[in-house]
Amino acid sequence: MNAFQGRVTAALADPTLKTAIDRTTNTARSKRAAAIAAWPEFAQARELGRDMKDHVIANMEYYLTMFEANAVKTGAKIHWARTGQEACEIVVGICKAAKAKSVTRSKSMLGEEIGLPHALEAAGIERVETDLAEHIIQLAGETPSHIIWPALHKTREQVGELFRAHHTDPGELATVEEMVSSARRNLREKFMAADVGISGANFLIADTGAICTVTNEGNAELTTTPPRVHIVTAGIEKLVPSMVEAMTMLRLLVRSATGAELTQYTTFHAGPKQPGDVDGPEEFHIVLVDAGRTTMLAEGLAEMLRCLRCGACMNHCVVYRQIGGHAYGATYPGPMGSVITPSLDGLETSQDLPRACTLNGQCHEVCPVAIPLPTLIRGWRTKAWVQGYEPLHTAWALRIWEFFALRPVLYQLASNLALRIMPLFAKGGWISKMPLAGGWTRYRDMPIPQGGSFLAQYKKRQAAK
Amino acid sequence: MTDAKQAIFAAIRKTLPAPAPAPTIAAELSQLRARINATRPDRVSGPADEVFLERVQSPGVAATAERINSFDEFPAAVMRYAVRHNLGLDIALQPHPDLATLNWSGCQTHDHIGTDETLAVGLALGGIAETGSLIFHSSQISPTLFAFLPLHHIVAIPYKNIWPWMEDYVASFAGKSPPRNVNFVTGASGTTDIEGALVRGAHGPGWLHIVVVGSPGL
Repeated sequence: MNAFQGRVTAALADPTLKTAIDRTTNTARSKRAAAIAAWPEFAQARELGRDMKDHVIANMEYYLTMFEANAVKTGAKIHWARTGQEACEIVVGICKAAKAKSVTRSKSMLGEEIGLPHALEAAGIERVETDLAEHIIQLAGETPSHIIWPALHKTREQVGELFRAHHTDPGELATVEEMVSSARRNLREKFMAADVGISGANFLIADTGAICTVTNEGNAELTTTPPRVHIVTAGIEKLVPSMVEAMTMLRLLVRSATGAELTQYTTFHAGPKQPGDVDGPEEFHIVLVDAGRTTMLAEGLAEMLRCLRCGACMNHCVVYRQIGGHAYGATYPGPMGSVITPSLDGLETSQDLPRACTLNGQCHEVCPVAIPLPTLIRGWRTKAWVQGYEPLHTAWALRIWEFFALRPVLYQLASNLALRIMPLFAKGGWISKMPLAGGWTRYRDMPIPQGGSFLAQYKKRQAAK
Repeated sequence: MTDAKQAIFAAIRKTLPAPAPAPTIAAELSQLRARINATRPDRVSGPADEVFLERVQSPGVAATAERINSFDEFPAAVMRYAVRHNLGLDIALQPHPDLATLNWSGCQTHDHIGTDETLAVGLALGGIAETGSLIFHSSQISPTLFAFLPLHHIVAIPYKNIWPWMEDYVASFAGKSPPRNVNFVTGASGTTDIEGALVRGAHGPGWLHIVVVGSPGL
């Protein structure tokens, strides 16, 4: 059993994980479905969103140059980082120059990707996660298991235990409302006392040099306004030409992520405090991070750079909903993670991820910018095969299948035989145990095959025409 | 980090050709923009102020709202709200000259916002009917934290400053230099981070009350 299989086995054996995943993803799916049903123009908007992102990616150098020039005009200081490590060094350097003791951070998946939480801690800077879910996992000493709901794997009972152990005057914590209230009280002073606030960016607005953040809690603005310094870390693919395109993207992003029409707080940050402003930071830094984006471009994964990080693909993924995010062993779980991780971490170490997919196409259907995730996942499988990364038993199984597939008569004989044998193992209409199928039946029953084989049914239908 | 920038641009050029001439890019962009109107949710069918009032009180936004005839009536609306919610009349009043000229007798006001402020009263720059959003531009008369620190936030908005669609707001400020913060506020603060259950008042206000001032008929 390799590391991935070990994590999956542990996840499937976890008695509360499936309940926790279901509680959040079921709500997310039904809310998204309602929001899309109330937006008949969604299909056209999705195509437009796709084309806008493709336009930006195709002209990335042009828009990056425009963004930098306009951001500098607002008083922002721009930094460029080739790698995650370089980005962390820049952020820590700015914090040290500001003599920062305490840093508040608003949730950013890029920050997680480049290891910023660890880098801040290694530099001896107090890190306060302000998004409620990030606060929960910081207290638990864990990593996010979902890109929108990082603490999705925690039940309310587990959150209550954490707050009881770590919060000052947590109160009863009998309800989710009381838990939220306790977090509000405990984080209040931290917001105001921080020396530096760090955020990500959902969009970089090229024609104004502003960056856009979206939150429902209001923690981004409380992270970025009171401290003396605001640092933004953003992937270079986050560009949109102007606020006009940002509006289309916001309609797509928010409905796909939470089913709302707009997040409670959508903020465009442009530079530091201006003359006369009552609040706001004295310094405003934007760290533009490559960290594998240009490699993805070169690897034929330009479509993946459209990703808005909405999380809809994982909410609809039958695999993610069984194993949760931690089993993927990477920053980005689910279908989008199965495409990104092999590029970021190397295919040899993450080849299991593209294989942990049923290719049912749900992720592509719900993606707000129409990323062909199943096609990209299949691309990684092909590369893994060509580069000889497939485990021996998989390679042999595929060779055996190939042997039969190239001999139609034998193939039909074998499938007909299987169709006759499989029902012998059934009890009560389902197969709970069968030789060579332990990997399947250990966690779920298999339905008895109905009717003849595909080819037999096809021939019958053709004959009836 | 000029080296890093050059390295990133060199990596982009390895895959993509040199940027097309600016007019070519602009032409392609304007073709994309021409498609936007057909993709907007078809919901702003009535007067923007009426749609706005309906949207802000819809379950998705879940603010409370009312309309008053003139700005002079705003302090009374604030006091009615405070009584309904059993709040004291110690108010953080956004330092906007239009608010300062109103008659706040019966209330204690201060022009700064505290970390644990109970009630703040403000004036939005405008609103968006499509989404039921309030818009604030940070400035000397509109500090950002007024929209984020109080538990209750009451906001007045002139009916004339309500744009039908998000793009209409953007068009009104196109080409102007942006303020430090543009905030779209769409309802009170909320979180679904624990088991997907919606709870209001996560870090920002738990209650948002919107007062539309005036109407086309007046």
